[in-house]
Amino acid sequence: MTPTALDFFDCNARIGRPTVFREGQITTTDELLAEMDYAGIRRALVYHTLAAEWSPNDGNDMLRQELSGQNRLYPCFVALPPATGEMPDPDGFARMVREAHGAVRLFPQDHTFSLLDWCAGPLLEALAAHSVPVLVHIGQTSWGELSAVLSAHPDLPLILLGTYYRVDRCLYPLWERHDNLFVESTTYQTFRGIESVCARFGASRLVFGTNVPELETGGAMTPILYADIPQEDRAAIASGNLMRLLGIEH
Amino acid sequence: MDFQNDWRMGVVYENEIIIDAHGHMGPWLDFNVPEQGSPDAMVRTMDQCGISTTVISPHLCIGPDYRLGNRHAYEAAARFPGRLVPFVTVNPTYGAAEIQQEIEYWAANGGIQAFKLHPSLHQYKASGKDYFPVYEYAQAHGLPILSHSWAGDPLGGASTLGGLAAQFPAAGFIIGHAASSWQVLDEAEKEAHEHPNVYLDLTGSRLIRGLIEDMVKRVGADRVLFGTDNPFIDPRPGLGRVLAARLSDDDKRKILGLNAKRLFRL
Repeated sequence: MTPTALDFFDCNARIGRPTVFREGQITTTDELLAEMDYAGIRRALVYHTLAAEWSPNDGNDMLRQELSGQNRLYPCFVALPPATGEMPDPDGFARMVREAHGAVRLFPQDHTFSLLDWCAGPLLEALAAHSVPVLVHIGQTSWGELSAVLSAHPDLPLILLGTYYRVDRCLYPLWERHDNLFVESTTYQTFRGIESVCARFGASRLVFGTNVPELETGGAMTPILYADIPQEDRAAIASGNLMRLLGIEH
Repeated sequence: MDFQNDWRMGVVYENEIIIDAHGHMGPWLDFNVPEQGSPDAMVRTMDQCGISTTVISPHLCIGPDYRLGNRHAYEAAARFPGRLVPFVTVNPTYGAAEIQQEIEYWAANGGIQAFKLHPSLHQYKASGKDYFPVYEYAQAHGLPILSHSWAGDPLGGASTLGGLAAQFPAAGFIIGHAASSWQVLDEAEKEAHEHPNVYLDLTGSRLIRGLIEDMVKRVGADRVLFGTDNPFIDPRPGLGRVLAARLSDDDKRKILGLNAKRLFRL
């Protein structure tokens, strides 16, 4: 891997064959690692397309197989609420994820469930009890739902993905109330947004992610490499915050 | 200088020409722009990542008062000479006569280097007659015109701009946001092949992997311009996309600045 000014740990990478494929798109772990080497990203939290676009259980199994023996890739499992019995029991599942230094990604919109307690409560409770970070794309939920989840589960680390430059007026009030909300930096493209968030809430609130293979790695890394903040804050956003959330020391 | 390696080390390119051909300025109605998107904050951010110059159309211009916005642009350019360069932006819903006066005013008070149009926000088709004072002036003086555009855009789409490029061959027509989706790239590519005075702008918030390389393969690096929407969007993601692209350094230099330097006569 080529040298970089920061140790980057991507919270949002994907492998697997997607429903809509475009020539040159990354689908395998080898291709993902090659892309990480090109960009200078050391580690990544990875989910499997088949868990998102077909079957969480089967996709998670494939992810385990794909990541077996890999020391730069960490698992991001996809989960469902437990009522229908499609997933393992939440407590055992959450324990397994934590032991793997992994995380859980939820797709409430695509998988047709609610994040609210009447539906996802038992799952979120178990994940919070084992300090498992939950990743949700903003397009899969709503500000009201997020507010309710963060209030009901103050120990659940929630990483919000796919934000953009129009979110501050809803994001800031949530950050004022909830220490357990984190935002993927990649698409949070507010003008001087990283600087403003660090000044107002601290660097601990942002987590580096790329959304590779959909989006460019260079576009994701540059706002951190060129951020007008202290180097230790850049390092926290690039990897330190995610390592802390996943329970990884080095 | 090796962009791909230096960029990863956070090198600020003080000796490279990096021109952001698609900038704005100031606050906007439906989201927070930190520090009110002031010219001082913009230049500080440009310094942070090595952008030499940004061509600006204040948000006020693409919103309710283009004339006051143009004044703000020229005032900011006077405060930061060489760093901020004003577009003259027009709103055709105020009519061709007022636009003609606006063009004459700025031609006599600071000079005009480029025009900016936003058919979508102004809800007026780019081929409409009230835009024609802009096209005629640009044609007479060989100036570039940047127009907001989107995939399938019925008001400022690539095909409409291509038609104008044929009608006004001495003007340069920049298709804004030409890298925002594969569909808009398909549309813009067609016009670039048919009209030598059509250019493609990279500005966009969704930085699709592999698109910039494909764009250069299709139309050539000479027709692609670096742009960011700064401070509508932070300029650093868009800059990183070019610096890290799988392109030669020569192509990156053209895209980042040399093409705009020639087109805008900077």
